[in-house]
Amino acid sequence: MPNLVELPQGALEILILKAISLGPLHGYGILLRIQQISGDRLEIQQGSFYPAIYRLESRGWITGEWGESENNRRAKFYRLSPTGKRQLKAESERWVEMIGVVANILKLSAGES
Amino acid sequence: MNLVAQIRAWWYAITDRTRVHQQVETELQFHVDAYTEDLIRSGATREDAQRRARLELGKIETQNERYREAIGLRLFDEIGGDLRFGLRSIWKQPAFSAVAILSLALGIGATTAMFSLIYAVLLHPFPYADSDRIMDPVVINELNPQQLRWFAMTRPQFQTLSRAKSIESLLGFRNVNLEITGSELPEDVAAIYLTENADSFFGVPALLGRGIQPTDAQGGGQPIVVLNFRFWQRHFHGDSAVIGRTLQLDHANYTIVGVMPRSFAFNDTFGVGDIYLPRSLLHDSTNPPIQWPYTPWIKLKADVSTASADAELNAIVQQFAKEFPERYPKQFHLQLQPIIVPFEQNTGHTLAMLLAGVSLLLIIGCVNCSILLLARGAARQNELAVRSALGASRSRIIRQLLIESLVVSFTGAVLGVAASWWLAKLPFALSPGSFPSESFIRINLPILGFSVGLALVSGILCGLAPALRLSRRDLAHPMQSSPQRIASRGNKRRIHILIAGQIALTLLLMATAGTAMGAFLHLMRAPLGYDPKNVMQVGIVMHWDNPADWNRIRSRADRSAFIEQVRQKIAYVPGVLSVAVATDATPPNLGRDETFEVLGEPAGQQQQARIYFIGQQYFSTLRIGLLSGRIWDPPENMRGDSVAVINKSFAQLYWPHGNAIGHQIRIPGLQPVGSLVATSSDSTGWREIIGVVSDARNNGVDMPVLPAIYVPYTTLMAPYAQFDIRTQGEPLSLLHTIRAAVASVSSDQQISNGAYDLQEAIDRDAQWSKQRLFSVLFGVFSTMALLLALAGLFSVVSYSVAQRTMEFGVRLALGASRSHILWIAARAAVFSVVVGLTVGGVADILAGHLLRTWMGSRGSGALYLPEASVLLAICAMLACVLAARRTASAKPIEALRYE
Repeated sequence: MPNLVELPQGALEILILKAISLGPLHGYGILLRIQQISGDRLEIQQGSFYPAIYRLESRGWITGEWGESENNRRAKFYRLSPTGKRQLKAESERWVEMIGVVANILKLSAGES
Repeated sequence: MNLVAQIRAWWYAITDRTRVHQQVETELQFHVDAYTEDLIRSGATREDAQRRARLELGKIETQNERYREAIGLRLFDEIGGDLRFGLRSIWKQPAFSAVAILSLALGIGATTAMFSLIYAVLLHPFPYADSDRIMDPVVINELNPQQLRWFAMTRPQFQTLSRAKSIESLLGFRNVNLEITGSELPEDVAAIYLTENADSFFGVPALLGRGIQPTDAQGGGQPIVVLNFRFWQRHFHGDSAVIGRTLQLDHANYTIVGVMPRSFAFNDTFGVGDIYLPRSLLHDSTNPPIQWPYTPWIKLKADVSTASADAELNAIVQQFAKEFPERYPKQFHLQLQPIIVPFEQNTGHTLAMLLAGVSLLLIIGCVNCSILLLARGAARQNELAVRSALGASRSRIIRQLLIESLVVSFTGAVLGVAASWWLAKLPFALSPGSFPSESFIRINLPILGFSVGLALVSGILCGLAPALRLSRRDLAHPMQSSPQRIASRGNKRRIHILIAGQIALTLLLMATAGTAMGAFLHLMRAPLGYDPKNVMQVGIVMHWDNPADWNRIRSRADRSAFIEQVRQKIAYVPGVLSVAVATDATPPNLGRDETFEVLGEPAGQQQQARIYFIGQQYFSTLRIGLLSGRIWDPPENMRGDSVAVINKSFAQLYWPHGNAIGHQIRIPGLQPVGSLVATSSDSTGWREIIGVVSDARNNGVDMPVLPAIYVPYTTLMAPYAQFDIRTQGEPLSLLHTIRAAVASVSSDQQISNGAYDLQEAIDRDAQWSKQRLFSVLFGVFSTMALLLALAGLFSVVSYSVAQRTMEFGVRLALGASRSHILWIAARAAVFSVVVGLTVGGVADILAGHLLRTWMGSRGSGALYLPEASVLLAICAMLACVLAARRTASAKPIEALRYE
């Protein structure tokens, strides 16, 4: 089994945005998709998963709509709002940039410093 | 962040709570079910899967809390909970709540009332736009700076002044008395001619129709008239169909074009106008021509300082004085006086005094509330200990306690504001003359803001000490110890300090009230020297501006005959007992001050006396007793010269042994002035003192009587006269008949508007009404304070007794006497009362002097401290004993079973 990675602060939210940017999903679907994309290497705290969704929805980045699930049950499907789209783009760039910077620093060998 | 979305989320979570919660639960349930299915599919048993899903995802029901926390409603929910808790505890302890709420309601109500008064009188008394830039230019005599004078201008002068750089807008006005004609009887009306820029100068929109506008100047002045609100109410009974109707003034028709709002009462300096007319109507053909039609009010430019405007305008007015030196003092300077100044001087101290009173009351209310919260808090320690043990942080408990006290204070504020609307009108009713006629009380935004702020501050003020005290961790132990409650020492000490402080403040307020009432009683008991009951004063202004009428009263003989004829006609009116001519002579404070000489005395000292121009019926009408000598007879009255009557004060000054009769005095100031005044042939000559009358108040109701000289009114007659009329019943009810009697002498002769009852004049007297205001309001304040203090004391003793029931039971069982128990229960409170009385007494001696100076009570400086202390002490002891008696009367067994 691969090592489990714990998510840093704020990462869960951007992952949720990313997950639904590919198409509307209900809460459980989002969880599954994140785990699937990450190859089951992410440890997602169940307790913090829904509050993150609630926060995103109350900020207006995602919008929820009730619909029918694959097994014909009422479920709430989330999609990205225009604000959410912008936010995802900006946040992604920020993350990539930060990761790049951090990675560069970490790559330095002792002799180069 | 998207604010709209955020607010929408909050809105739904708050207003549609059930639905939102259902959705949250449904969503999570779906998640749990889907997860369970997946787990089963991957090989787990149904039971196992369900258990795991529930374990990982938590209870469905608690998800709502997570939801609300996630969207940021946690603080809101907690405070809402505290609020609900606060309201519930108010509801559950009605006696405690009623006393606490009432304590604050009284304080907040009184303070709000006083603030609305100050707002209406000092902060925002005028309805005019930019009223802080409107100046009343005053001519100050440099030789006698106390003497203020106003000045009027000719047309060219007005134009010169309006070109001054510092002036944004210049208003010219002129007060003239006109007569409403065309109805059965002529009626006097106070008119003010205004330059036609009036509307833009005042910036006050008319209530109905319009104000005076520049177009009204066209064609030598349009015959239009704008009505003052009170005149409209009085004369037209507030009929809104009045616009477009005509009003006949001095036999000419004017169209009514507008009614000004109630707050517009231009102006207090020269008399409020009943009607306003365009200035251009006062043209050169007005007979006699009015040469000085412009008294100025100035609106300064916004960026001009008063000092530089003073300098510029002073130079201009000095130039005017060179043109007409007789109209100005020899040495003077011009000063721009903001129009609020006269009222600041008159009412500033009164309001400061009242504000001090209500502030004391508010503090007493807050202290009382604090005491109650602390006392109740002692009984609530168990509850707080439980909360703290369950994990409530100290700040959480402080917040809860503060919110509870805020609930109390806001409830109090709502009641208080409602009461203040009525309270704020009281000073106007009690002392009408002390405030600008334009200020009237309304509850508005600043005042509501003020009371909300007051509620907040007082809620925190009275809640903070108990909250800090009660939230302390070390108080948590009662829960662990035995069920008997041991009130902490610190808590008790705090309560007793508060009680002592409250008693001290109450004493201060009571002693001040005592002084105020004492001074007013003194004033009421002081003899007036005359009998004002059923006497009124009525004046007439003769028609000097109409040549035909003028010829009939021009000579001295004609004029005195006219006045005597009017007097006799009034005397024939049924119900009139007696009538006297009393021109400028109606007590308690009219009269004119002149220097005089006594034959045979050195003329060096410039002694002044009050001079009265009266008919011989004056003394009998006002019931002023003749002490010696006689009053002049009708022929002497008509001659005017060579006789005088003096009052007792005058006689004692020069002839203390009672031989004043027969001496000669002379009043040089009675010389003829101007063409309108008629004098006797030797008005300034020597006069024999033929009588001495007793003293009647002549310098206001509270000042010593001044030496007075009475001379026949025919000595010096301006074209107006006043009559004092004694009637059988209510004097003003005869006014209509008297008006008809006067018109029967000359059909156009109206009586002036200001007819008044002499008794009312006393009520209106500045000093009298001020003292009455203070004594009534401070009486009310101190009664409230006393009740509050007693309620506080009673509840503290009751609470502490309730807490010590078991102890008392043991004591009784062991044989303590009931009186001893009574003493133990009350002694701590008694001790704080004694400390409070001492502190309050010292404070009164230190600060009382200042308060009394502000009150301006000259009559009696008596201290009412001892009386107030005794009264307060007795009431306080009663409250303690009554509260303690409940326990002392309990049976020992019942007391022991109490827990």
